[in-house]
Amino acid sequence: MTKPVEDGVITDAKKRYSAGVLKYKQMGYWQPDYVPKDTDVIALFRVTPQEGVDPEEAAAAIAGESSTATWTVVWTDRLTACELYRAKAYRVDQVPNTGEGTRTEAQFFCWIAYDLDLFEEGSIANLTASIIGNVFGFKAVKALRLEDMRLPVAYLKTFQGPATGIVVERERLDKFGRPLLGATTKPKLGLSGRNYGRVVYEALKGGLDFVKDDENINSQPFMGWRDRFLYCMEAVNRASAATGEVKGHYLNVTAGTMEDMYERADFARALGSAIIMIDLVVGYTAIQSMAKWARKNDVILHLHRAGNSTYSRQKNHGMNFRVICKWMRMAGVDHIHAGTVVGKLEGDPLMIKGFYDTLRESDTPMALENGLFFDQDWASLRRVMPVASGGIHAGQMHQLIHYLGEDVVLQFGGGTIGHPQGIQAGATANRVALEAMIQARNEGRDYLNEGPQILAEAARWCSPLKAALDTWGDISFNYASTDTADFVPTATAA
Amino acid sequence: MNAPVSPPASIDLQAILQEAQIQDVLDQLDRELVGLAPVKRRIREIAAFLVVSRARQSLGLESAAPSLHMSFTGNPGTGKTTVAMRMAEILHRLGYVRKGHVVSVTRDDLVGQYIGHTAPKTKEVLKKAMGGVLFIDEAYYLYRPENERDYGQEAIEILLQVMENHRDDLVVILAGYKDRMGTFFQSNPGMSSRIAHHIDFPDYSADELLAIAEKMAGQMNYRFDEGSILAMREYVALRAAQPHFANARSIRNALDRARLRQANRLFEAAMTAQGAVAADDLTLIGAEDIRASRVFAQEPTDGPG
Amino acid sequence: MMTNTGNRLTQGQFSFLPPLTDEQISKQLSFALDKGWSIGIEYTDDPHPRNTYWEMFGNPMFDLKDPAGILMEINNCRRTFPHHYIRVTAFDATRGWETPRMSYIVNRPEKEPGFRLNRQEVDGRMIRYSVESYAATRPEGERYP
Repeated sequence: MTKPVEDGVITDAKKRYSAGVLKYKQMGYWQPDYVPKDTDVIALFRVTPQEGVDPEEAAAAIAGESSTATWTVVWTDRLTACELYRAKAYRVDQVPNTGEGTRTEAQFFCWIAYDLDLFEEGSIANLTASIIGNVFGFKAVKALRLEDMRLPVAYLKTFQGPATGIVVERERLDKFGRPLLGATTKPKLGLSGRNYGRVVYEALKGGLDFVKDDENINSQPFMGWRDRFLYCMEAVNRASAATGEVKGHYLNVTAGTMEDMYERADFARALGSAIIMIDLVVGYTAIQSMAKWARKNDVILHLHRAGNSTYSRQKNHGMNFRVICKWMRMAGVDHIHAGTVVGKLEGDPLMIKGFYDTLRESDTPMALENGLFFDQDWASLRRVMPVASGGIHAGQMHQLIHYLGEDVVLQFGGGTIGHPQGIQAGATANRVALEAMIQARNEGRDYLNEGPQILAEAARWCSPLKAALDTWGDISFNYASTDTADFVPTATAA
Repeated sequence: MNAPVSPPASIDLQAILQEAQIQDVLDQLDRELVGLAPVKRRIREIAAFLVVSRARQSLGLESAAPSLHMSFTGNPGTGKTTVAMRMAEILHRLGYVRKGHVVSVTRDDLVGQYIGHTAPKTKEVLKKAMGGVLFIDEAYYLYRPENERDYGQEAIEILLQVMENHRDDLVVILAGYKDRMGTFFQSNPGMSSRIAHHIDFPDYSADELLAIAEKMAGQMNYRFDEGSILAMREYVALRAAQPHFANARSIRNALDRARLRQANRLFEAAMTAQGAVAADDLTLIGAEDIRASRVFAQEPTDGPG
Repeated sequence: MMTNTGNRLTQGQFSFLPPLTDEQISKQLSFALDKGWSIGIEYTDDPHPRNTYWEMFGNPMFDLKDPAGILMEINNCRRTFPHHYIRVTAFDATRGWETPRMSYIVNRPEKEPGFRLNRQEVDGRMIRYSVESYAATRPEGERYP
């Protein structure tokens, strides 16, 4: 009997389906000549194959397990247009600086194309069930990481996208031309509703635009959610009257069930809150539901990325945060925490640029140095406002604006509430530092290098800023990032 | 005049000239415009004056910026717009205007049709010209003494105000026929007194017009042969004697019509002889393409042909 | 009197800085012009945080190269409405933005009385809030002497 497959090439189409176990490569999941269609979803994985598994077979196995395959041959394939549904691994490249002669075992980037018909329209849950469903526990690979995805315009058009988006958010808030300022109420836990609202009022009156609930502030013994909402809105409205500005507090509506979340969100809207928040841990479907609710109710939707580091931080396994950014823009959140570069949490500047571009731009061209593997047209999905939070202070204002731009919420929690002259002074210090730096940038000054001088000039007439610089001026968090680029920027002729 | 406390020994005019690369602009003007020797001389003089003013300012010998508004007089097609562009560049390079663009307008851009229309229109134009040069062609149409309620007067008043108060922000060049500009200045002494430099653009000579024709044809990848250059010379002499002659502009129009005739001639030849057309034939303006003009008709015609 | 930092309305992107000089305003205008944004001047005597439509001092200015003309209009507006709030807004017409990209106050009344917070107690502990400008209780044009 002739073998149905010779060197990976199917020689007898009918016999390919004879019972038994075939290599994935031989089942048609490895197609090096395949040219992806404009409507294909493309996923890029970082694969660490098991010993003795060749990278093309590993790629084919991932393509198989994330689409139609099971571990053995099934005749029922023959009842379907299975060629279409089979994902196609079409390219495998060794990751630079891995394998022999390096300290890292060999890793491979593999490109896999999925036909649009594999996915239900407007469902992150369905998309992810395929792409990151079974395949991550698959034995043929030692480790697997989803690095990036190319979402076709045709598919993006089936998603609502951000409920509000940067443009409409700014128009609603009447705030243009500078980053927004926020802070997370501290301490996270233990404040009563009345005490909690005090922090909100002081920070907003002092000059912040937003204050925020922390991710684990829901409805606990020390403070029920209704009390929190009532006191926070008293603070927001008091601050708005005291300054003549629109102010907001991200009321966290995260709860155990969708019914509870809707109840909390409805109450926030009834109180006139401009914005609510949810945590990433509520799940993709709940996020999409809340995004629809937010669009329908003219409320901005803030997402705290609680939990993401459990799967985004390690370089060889899990998924890159830029993929979360893409899914969240499709799912429809308006804000998402996306790194600070200079603060206490993980973040390499080049990688963070990739996240921010993914959230904010209408087209993102391929940029390997920023970890963007594909040209991505965002199909007019609105822009998501990134949020920078965690260990940042007024003394870093020049770096923050340089790295993060002006369409970002800068959240100074400790940097506001821990100010030696009080919360209002802390807020004022941040706002003055911000406005002075934006003014200098617009005037064409070399604000990145002259930053400390620009801040010192402003501190001469603003004592809260002087106190802030004296307190935190020298603090920085210099740890190596774990998530870094595999490609160095190519030098351009200068 | 405030004398500097310790007068610097000297200042290098050459250095100012070189730094601003004024010679480049003058050279470009030479390349762009045939002839016009007296105009080019005046531009050089003004450039020199501006350089010296700059030097005097840097030594504290002069406090206020000089008035720079100008009047360009001459017949149509004598290069006034082109010179205005180079002048704007010179002013920009020497730092007398910040951007160096030219906004070119006529009465219709400045004067409105009803009450309250003129001021915003004029201001709109002035705002666009700020940082550069406002070139007002046929400026005398702004002033219509025969109509007491003409809104042109309102535009003139706003212009005067801005020419005085925003010397650092823009330079105004008024342009038009020499005699009519003379009358305009006589009736508007306020305007006259604010014009620092008058430049008169003479008509081109026959030789200059022929050189212009060759230059224009060359820029469009056409050429003349012996016969057609002779025809062009005769054409220039005849056309200049006719009404509505507009110097270089008339030459441009004559060339455009000759190109049409040439295309038609080549097309008809190809239709009858079925021959391919040589590249040489495509570039040649023949004598017949020129002589077919109505200018060569025996009887005098109403207009140019 | 307003009791917040600086005792003043803090709308706009530079309200926490000392009032901008004409030279500083020119630099901000140049920044916007270099990006190809058009610039509008607006004034009001009703600075309620949600009063979006201040009066336009002429249409937004398009196609300008240099800030001098805009500064001229700002000063015209200041002369005409010396006791009003005046703001400069830069509009971006590129696809995907098509919205203001800058907004800052360049004139304000000498005395800013600020806002009253009205509370209407409704169902249970719910409160309906409204913010009301003290000055806006007087007729338009007579609000800031």
